Amino acid sequence: MENLVHTVVLMLEGTRVTLEIFFITLLLALPIGLLASLGRLSKFRPLSLFMEFYIWIMRGTPLMLQLLFVYFALPMIGVMLPDIAAALLAFTLNYAAYFAEIFRSGIQSIPKGQYEAAKTLGMTYPMTMRRIILPQVIRIVLPPVSNETINLVKDTSLIYILAMNDLLRVARTIVQREFDMTPFVVAAVFYLAMTFVLTWLFKKLEAYYGKYET
Amino acid sequence: MENMKPDSKVMLRMTNIRKSFTGCEVLKGIDIEVKKGELLAIIGPSGSGKSTLLRCINMLETIDDGSIAIEGEYLAKEGAYVSGDKARKLLGRTGMVFQQFNLFPHMTVMENLLEAPMQVKEMKREEVLPLAKELLSKVGLSDRENYYPSQLSGGQQQRVAIARALAMKPDIMLFDEPTSALDPELTGEVLKTMRELAAERMTMVVVTHEMAFAREAASKVIFMADGNIVEQGSPNEFFDHPKEERTKAFLRNML
Ligand SMILES: Nc1ncnc2c1ncn2[C@@H]1O[C@H](COP(=O)(O)OP(=O)(O)O)[C@@H](O)[C@H]1O
Ligand SMILES: [Mg+2]
Repeated sequence: MENLVHTVVLMLEGTRVTLEIFFITLLLALPIGLLASLGRLSKFRPLSLFMEFYIWIMRGTPLMLQLLFVYFALPMIGVMLPDIAAALLAFTLNYAAYFAEIFRSGIQSIPKGQYEAAKTLGMTYPMTMRRIILPQVIRIVLPPVSNETINLVKDTSLIYILAMNDLLRVARTIVQREFDMTPFVVAAVFYLAMTFVLTWLFKKLEAYYGKYET
Repeated sequence: MENMKPDSKVMLRMTNIRKSFTGCEVLKGIDIEVKKGELLAIIGPSGSGKSTLLRCINMLETIDDGSIAIEGEYLAKEGAYVSGDKARKLLGRTGMVFQQFNLFPHMTVMENLLEAPMQVKEMKREEVLPLAKELLSKVGLSDRENYYPSQLSGGQQQRVAIARALAMKPDIMLFDEPTSALDPELTGEVLKTMRELAAERMTMVVVTHEMAFAREAASKVIFMADGNIVEQGSPNEFFDHPKEERTKAFLRNML
């Protein structure tokens, strides 16, 4: 019993690292993803091509490889980042690309008539995006964003390979030291708790943003 | 402005409007003139360029050649639209009603009406509210102000769309087949709203397939086909004594 308490306390520390990566990635990747999607939809060809290329690289290669690249390859060319910053950089760039694709298809699914109505009412393009288009896009992208967010919870475990003491690594350390499987079970419960809370939260958000649907 | 001065009562004048889509000319030199308080009805087969003509007036499309003047002020001269600010000011004098309503689905009826005056004219909610309420009562939807568009019938949605356009106090209202997306039993309520607007001497350009409405509410009827004006005249002349074969054939089909 005492052992279990000790295990949980150690693992809470690991959870803190996991949550840190999760929240900061989300906080950065959502706005960057939105900007990237607008860039991708831009009529300015170089910008939209660049964004297409960025999204292609990020979605076309494993996140694990991107992590390793940032962690090991950047220092070789003289870019030294603290561990956590390296992890965050890779996670943010990767998730922003996925979010950008989600936002792009969300934005494109808004009928042209919405832009035209706004324009004939004298609204400018930024005004139209902010007041008319994006609120509707939020409703449309919530389910896929929810999916990606839950993936992110689980993907944080990839920093395991970077020798950072996240939830999974702490669990493995204890398992190896004490020869006891409980930490893995505790880790599973922690991950489940996080995804449970997120699922609940997104359900609420979908209800809120979808209140205009009947 | 020079040659447009004499008749200050002309609200909208379009001269020699030309427009092509990827090599295909859909407006082949159209001239129209709408005086203050007039209702110009535009009829014609589908694909004849009616929507495009209307959409050039508020820059949803841009003309290739010709001139557009709103109450004597050029919006476009010989194919070139005036610069940003001036164009925006002139565009503010037109309002548009679409076939598909295009209400903002995430906003209530009242929010739809308040949106543009508050965002574009930067008016306070309390300043717009009296007008918004008056307009809703005018289109007979006072009891629906907190509904979302999806909770309304098509006819109700279109009446909200009319009120929303009117909330910006336009001088000219443009209607692109406002009843074509409606079930037949719902067209009446929208046409009634439009008739009331016409009775208040709102200047209107209406693309429509409702011949009875055109005959009774229009000051002038224009028949378009293949990007040309085939025939125009007062409703009586036009419907009772059409001159062109094309017009006669079209009218036979519509009745
Ligand atoms: N955005 C566009 N791109 C290419 N062709 C178009 C576009 N809009 C309209 N057209 C073409 O222009 C012609 C006139 O269309 P339109 O003005 O919508 O006619 P109407 O409203 O009289 O039915 C049609 O042949 C249509 O296919
Ligand atoms: Mg049309």
